[in-house]
Amino acid sequence: MREIAVVGSAQSACLAANRRDDMAGILLPVIREALSGIPLDRDRVDFVCSGSHDFHEGRTFAYIDSLDAVGAWPPIAESHVEMDAAWAFYEAWSWLQLGHGDIALVYGIGRGSLPRDLDQVVPTQLDPYYLTPLRPHRDAIAGIQACALLQSGVTTEHEMARIVARSLADAQANPHAQVAGEYEVDELLAAPYVAAPLRGHDVSPVGDAASVVVLAAGDVARSLCERPAWVRGIDHRMDGHYPGSRDLTRAPSANLAAARATATAGFAASEVDIAELHIEYSAQEPLLVRELGLGAATAINPSGGPLAGRPTTAAGLIRIAEAAKGIRSGGARRALAHATNGQALQQNLVCLLEGDPA
Amino acid sequence: MNKPLPEPVSLMPTPLRMEYTFVAGVGRSRFLRGLSERRLLAGTCPSCRHVYLPAPEFCARCLVELDEPIELDGRGVVSTFCVVSFPFPGQEIEPPYVVAYIQPHGADTRLMHLIREVDIAEVHIGMEVEPVWREGDDLEPSWMSIRHYRPVATEEVRHA
Amino acid sequence: MSEPVAVIGIGQGKQAKRRETTIGAMVREAVAAAMADAELELGEVDAIVLSKTPDLFDGVMNPELYLADALGARGLPVTRVFTGGSVGGHAAIYGAHLIEAGLARRVLVAAYSKESEGNFTWALSRGLPFSAKLGAGAGGHFAPVIREYIRRSGAPEHIGWQVAVNHRLNALRNPYAHVHMPDITVEKVKESRMLWDPIRYLESCPSSDGAAAIVLAAASQAGNTARPPAWIHGMSFRTETGHFAGRDEVNPLAGAECAADAYRQAGIVDPAREIDVAELYIPYSWYEPMWLENIGLAPLHQGWKLVDDGTTRFGGSLPINPSGGVLSGNPTGATGLVRFLEAALQVRGMAGEHQVPGARRAIGHAMGGASQFHALWVVGDERPAT
Repeated sequence: MREIAVVGSAQSACLAANRRDDMAGILLPVIREALSGIPLDRDRVDFVCSGSHDFHEGRTFAYIDSLDAVGAWPPIAESHVEMDAAWAFYEAWSWLQLGHGDIALVYGIGRGSLPRDLDQVVPTQLDPYYLTPLRPHRDAIAGIQACALLQSGVTTEHEMARIVARSLADAQANPHAQVAGEYEVDELLAAPYVAAPLRGHDVSPVGDAASVVVLAAGDVARSLCERPAWVRGIDHRMDGHYPGSRDLTRAPSANLAAARATATAGFAASEVDIAELHIEYSAQEPLLVRELGLGAATAINPSGGPLAGRPTTAAGLIRIAEAAKGIRSGGARRALAHATNGQALQQNLVCLLEGDPA
Repeated sequence: MNKPLPEPVSLMPTPLRMEYTFVAGVGRSRFLRGLSERRLLAGTCPSCRHVYLPAPEFCARCLVELDEPIELDGRGVVSTFCVVSFPFPGQEIEPPYVVAYIQPHGADTRLMHLIREVDIAEVHIGMEVEPVWREGDDLEPSWMSIRHYRPVATEEVRHA
Repeated sequence: MSEPVAVIGIGQGKQAKRRETTIGAMVREAVAAAMADAELELGEVDAIVLSKTPDLFDGVMNPELYLADALGARGLPVTRVFTGGSVGGHAAIYGAHLIEAGLARRVLVAAYSKESEGNFTWALSRGLPFSAKLGAGAGGHFAPVIREYIRRSGAPEHIGWQVAVNHRLNALRNPYAHVHMPDITVEKVKESRMLWDPIRYLESCPSSDGAAAIVLAAASQAGNTARPPAWIHGMSFRTETGHFAGRDEVNPLAGAECAADAYRQAGIVDPAREIDVAELYIPYSWYEPMWLENIGLAPLHQGWKLVDDGTTRFGGSLPINPSGGVLSGNPTGATGLVRFLEAALQVRGMAGEHQVPGARRAIGHAMGGASQFHALWVVGDERPAT
């Protein structure tokens, strides 16, 4: 395995709705910031990979517009996933393993605000014959999962509220957060349900933002970054689709991805200082803590996590960027980042990062 | 026991309705506003000096913001074209009609628009064309403020 | 460098309007065929890459989630790649990269489109306020580019008709092809309806449903099956920005550089002589001479002469699209992968009626967007030196 590290990142502020900028307009300043922060000349980037989704943009080939901000001239080696950009990160990491180049730039751009009503869009992510025609509310399957988690004792409504309160309090230190603030648990528990047992604040707020992460290999990474965040293990796995045939109190693909990442990393999730989890709903945090095997000493979502802002298809990549930032800043020795795709944690990615000993 | 099999379901319509808000962005918005004032606003890249029409916010080649917009008269030459010759659902113009790439004078990019007010057989690469604008009340921040392009008078004379 | 990568399994289904089959069943059919060819059970791979054109085409968002069972994907890593029409090529290359990087020993690459279930026209003609409503349609973009090619090269007009005839005749040898027209002639193409002048109806690709799949394997896994593998000798993808002043869409630099990179890896110096057969992404007939020039199989402005003198026909010295190509079947999400796998079938000697005798080195090529995305691989019957 080639040594690959995150050496830089940048993110635009997560907005409930950005009505000023088009795709390239959101992205260009973020790419500039990521590169200038290293600093790194754009010409030195050997590979570009991105993630976005047409169903959020409402048009086909939407990501083509974002390439206007990448600088694909002269022609570049480039790829794209129509999923969360954490999977683009994996592709870029695997590309660097080939040894054809040393530096890769990954970006995710999500504009969840463009669909006027997510209830029109989210059901299309399901089996088109059996499930989409039922048109479940956008949070319905998550509500069913949360209900199962409550009944099985994995979490409580009180714990869910504590998770929200902690996340939003932590988000006050995150300049990119969409929502933040100090809340009392009792105050949160008094709020009405949107998809019982989920209340409004249990649902991560969908919005618009772009995230950029720069990866570099070996000595190039060391030359670019005082404290590179080395990717020690990364893996992703898929579960079956039908919510009715899955045990929603489990996330076996998250468990498997963590085990696989651990095998190459040489350390387990229980040993990380911080964990950034792509939870779209508060009730998923206790489930992931169990599946990933996180310990009590680990700080979970110190950035505030997605409960403080979920730019669709960039939210997972932001977890990697935040976890790496914790290492690059010297605040953490080891970190875990998690990303998910689909309903009720159907598909999961786990990335274990480590800084050099001080 | 041996009940007849049910008739297979061969069609299962699931009509989807989705509404989106499109965001034009800063550069495009400036250009589209110009169209509602019968102005074609181009932008020059301060780095490679290429002139963009329509002008995005920045040059996709050099990735720097374009200079203040300059106004072009819209005249140009047909760089290449096709003739749409068949009807299809949702078509608003009766075929045949000409869709052309037009190279506006003073710009380095090409734009796509209709060529009308000319016999289709007369349309050729290199033909001088000019925009035909909508009337004042019909102007809007969209390409549709230009009805179509037509040959400029001198061109018509040459073919007369 | 890592060990070589081979194609050890290939599966595809009939390209047609297939409303009697669900998306899952159609994908499963191709996947099962590819796994059987590779002598593997479903799920006996280390990773899966899914290729698919825009989700709006058939109305399912993130279809890899729904297709988890059809793909045999439970517990496996699944990536859904998307780069326009070139996606099938990108997906195959990503799958091969996973093996080269040592992250997998066997990878399933699957691809499909089910456009008959969605509203293709709706998906492609969303009323965007930023562009003029010209009613140009799909070919309206490509037709002016073709006119520009004809002007530059001075090619006579019958070239486009001849390509259409060649590919349609080839399709008669391929049971999977959507369009079978035994009575096709140059006269018929010439007389067919003009769609986007200069593109006539019979010079255009159809819209098809269809699925395809391949199994890639590391060299250490490739010698175990009864049927011979196809070895990857070189592969590359390149992208160029779509909107900038001075872009050349007739002969895009990204396509030329993509091909040059793959040839360099394959040790090819004279592609026109060293390649026996090519499957190119030709959605409109005139793209055959254009791509021949773009990827270095013909000198600039001379590609049409290879059509004119019969070189690119089935019996010629450089047959192009013996499968019938995109003109004879176009499930867009799978079209690129079909080009790649048809090249592999040729060097495996398993192309059946459309087998080019003695084919030992072949090109699979895919293109997407407004010719912004390019992917190409060179496959051969011999294991490349490491």
